[in-house]
Amino acid sequence: MVNSNTNALGIIFPNSYDSWVSELVNVRLMASIPFASRYRLIDFILSSMTNCDIGNVSIMVNNNYHSLMDHLGSGREWDLVRKNGGLNIFPPFAEKDSKPYVGRVGALAGILDFLRDQKEEYVFMTDTNIAVNFDFKAMLKTHIESGADVTIAYNEQELPECIKQNSSPSKGFYYTFDIEDSKVTKIYVNSKESGVQNFSMNIFVLKRDLLIDLIDEAFVHGHQYFERDILLPKLNQLKVYAYKCEGYIARICDLKSYYDENMKLLDDYNLNALFSGPSIYTKLHGGNPARYMGGSKVQDVMAADGCIIEGEVENSILFRSVKIAKGAKVKNCILMQGTVVEAGADIEYLVTDKNVTITAGKEMKGTDTFPVYISKFQTV
Amino acid sequence: MAKEMIAMLLAGGQGSRLYALTEKLAKPAVPFGGKYRIIDFPLSNCVNSGIDTVGILTQYQPLVLNEYVGNGQPWDLDRLYGGVHVLPPYQKASGSDWYKGTANAIYQNISFIERYDPQYVIILSGDQICKQDYSDFLKFHKEKDAEFSVAVMEVPWEEASRFGLMVADDNDRITEFQEKPKEPKSNLASMGIYIFNWDILKKYLEEDEADPNSENDFGNNIIPNLLRDNRRMYAYHFSGYWKDVGTISSLWEANMEVLDPEHSGINLFDEDWKIYSRKSAMTGHMISAGAVIENAMVTDGCQIKGTVKHSILFEGVKIEKGAIVEDAVIMGSTVIKAGAVVKHCIVAENVTIGQNAVVGAMPSEEEKGVATIGAGITIGDNAKIGPNAMVNKNVGGGEEQW
Repeated sequence: MVNSNTNALGIIFPNSYDSWVSELVNVRLMASIPFASRYRLIDFILSSMTNCDIGNVSIMVNNNYHSLMDHLGSGREWDLVRKNGGLNIFPPFAEKDSKPYVGRVGALAGILDFLRDQKEEYVFMTDTNIAVNFDFKAMLKTHIESGADVTIAYNEQELPECIKQNSSPSKGFYYTFDIEDSKVTKIYVNSKESGVQNFSMNIFVLKRDLLIDLIDEAFVHGHQYFERDILLPKLNQLKVYAYKCEGYIARICDLKSYYDENMKLLDDYNLNALFSGPSIYTKLHGGNPARYMGGSKVQDVMAADGCIIEGEVENSILFRSVKIAKGAKVKNCILMQGTVVEAGADIEYLVTDKNVTITAGKEMKGTDTFPVYISKFQTV
Repeated sequence: MAKEMIAMLLAGGQGSRLYALTEKLAKPAVPFGGKYRIIDFPLSNCVNSGIDTVGILTQYQPLVLNEYVGNGQPWDLDRLYGGVHVLPPYQKASGSDWYKGTANAIYQNISFIERYDPQYVIILSGDQICKQDYSDFLKFHKEKDAEFSVAVMEVPWEEASRFGLMVADDNDRITEFQEKPKEPKSNLASMGIYIFNWDILKKYLEEDEADPNSENDFGNNIIPNLLRDNRRMYAYHFSGYWKDVGTISSLWEANMEVLDPEHSGINLFDEDWKIYSRKSAMTGHMISAGAVIENAMVTDGCQIKGTVKHSILFEGVKIEKGAIVEDAVIMGSTVIKAGAVVKHCIVAENVTIGQNAVVGAMPSEEEKGVATIGAGITIGDNAKIGPNAMVNKNVGGGEEQW
């Protein structure tokens, strides 16, 4: 048989780090946070998998996942409607003595039988809080050539202030490494170190059989976290390697970083860095082009289809079907789908969620260090 | 299970009056309105009217159209029973033939229609921009107990002689048909959209095929034969937006009307009657600092650094710094380089217009032409393209074409 698929399946954890962006996940989860005018965060990882011929992807939804189900549908836009493999969404499977799970171990323990039945030799596991055009094929190749048991992708960057301030265990864990000759020699949990760190992207690859064994054992012992409870204690027994990602990364750690990472894409250089690789797919909506009326004044704006713009917009990101009426002024804002800014309103440094209305003549301003968030369906 | 009504969409025409735009694709596949192709309009009308079975008759340059229609999913026409089917001419045990005329195209697909055992068949044309509720048309057809109905538009009397005209009585019953007459007796122009009772259509198609002198055309043969036999024929008055986009100037004009939905009547922002299209995956469009944009439609993937006035930009168009685009239709992924001036024209897909080149001109007393650049053409730096030019070959740097 012609082998057109990569010999790996994907497992995505869409709820990871929800607690970092509590405002944005009120009505959704990390994976379905709107990003870059017409995408949701999961589009980046999912499209990267599709583009790397990974045709068997499981999504371990835990809570608040209606928006994600709506977004993914049958997975057609990512070419994941398949007879074999394709897109699987696994909600928690409640049995009479089961509790809601935290961490990857509990999630995976619930699908061990499914994992045993699959054909692919390797498994990729990822979160969705990073927008990246990721080359899973290159990572798999490196993993196989190195003879590692587990390979983790990382990038070199300073730890964002927000997560250092917010690093209580109740907010979840993040990981940094010491690396020697590509081998991970030490794993740090919730480090507060300054300076450039080897910062885990939480993209893992390992053999399916090994994953099943590790999860089986960890679950019996009541463990929860793959990194903290499996990799870290076993660092001497397992060959854990690190794979450095050199590509463009937009990592969402809080509302401010969400704001900044969106805004960075107004710079052509960053936009091309994220999007010039293979296509990023997203749910397609039947809509019309954006319409700019006479008298509109627009500078440094990224906008999606369906917007109608009569007023002034500067340095902003507009999602689908945003309406900006005559005389309205919008500056340094992120306006999600269906936001309406009525005549004469004047807004700056706002992040409006879906279907927010700013009524006529209102003035509302955040600051560059503190963008103001307005939740879904609010009218100001 | 029988279908009440299925649609047959005539999409085989070359559209020769669109010249450079239809050299490599059929007229219904010509892009329109920023993110559509002409065929999106009849297909979306079908779906919005509740018709779930559509046969598309193709013949001329069908590749782009075939790929675009695909399995019909963007229009919700990927159905277990019915859905959209592309129907090219095919070889039969008795021989094979191209579609000789509009009626012959349907005749050759009688067996397709019979698979659905419909009561009514609506014949649509793939070269019109129109939002129309075909279910209302069918209601009229049933109320009149008609055997044949045709959708008609009232046109100004002075233009009537350019059209096929239906002469009807007070009860809308058709008494006479005039094809582009010198002395029109009516101003009801046929839109080329017909509803037939299937048994009647089949009978007349078979008779027409048996007639060696027939041109196998609906307008020239089938309709006159129905009239001759005194069939129950009615004219259904349609008063919404309708535009035949068979010429460069009408295609340009219809695109410009999209920019003014308040007055022109073609509203693509209508949530109640959506026009669906097959989309590609591109990022939102970018308007950079220093760009000027007035009264324009801009689609995903565009990058605008220059000036855009009263124009339609399709997906992925790039307008570089200092370039000026006015009254223009710029189709997908075309690049307009720095300092180029592009006015009152249609530029097809994947065109590159070089630095400081000039394409088209605003209309003056003598010149009212719409310059047209075919798909994939490169216009060199400093080249000049006149307002009546029809460009289907690359134009080198500094050269002129009028």
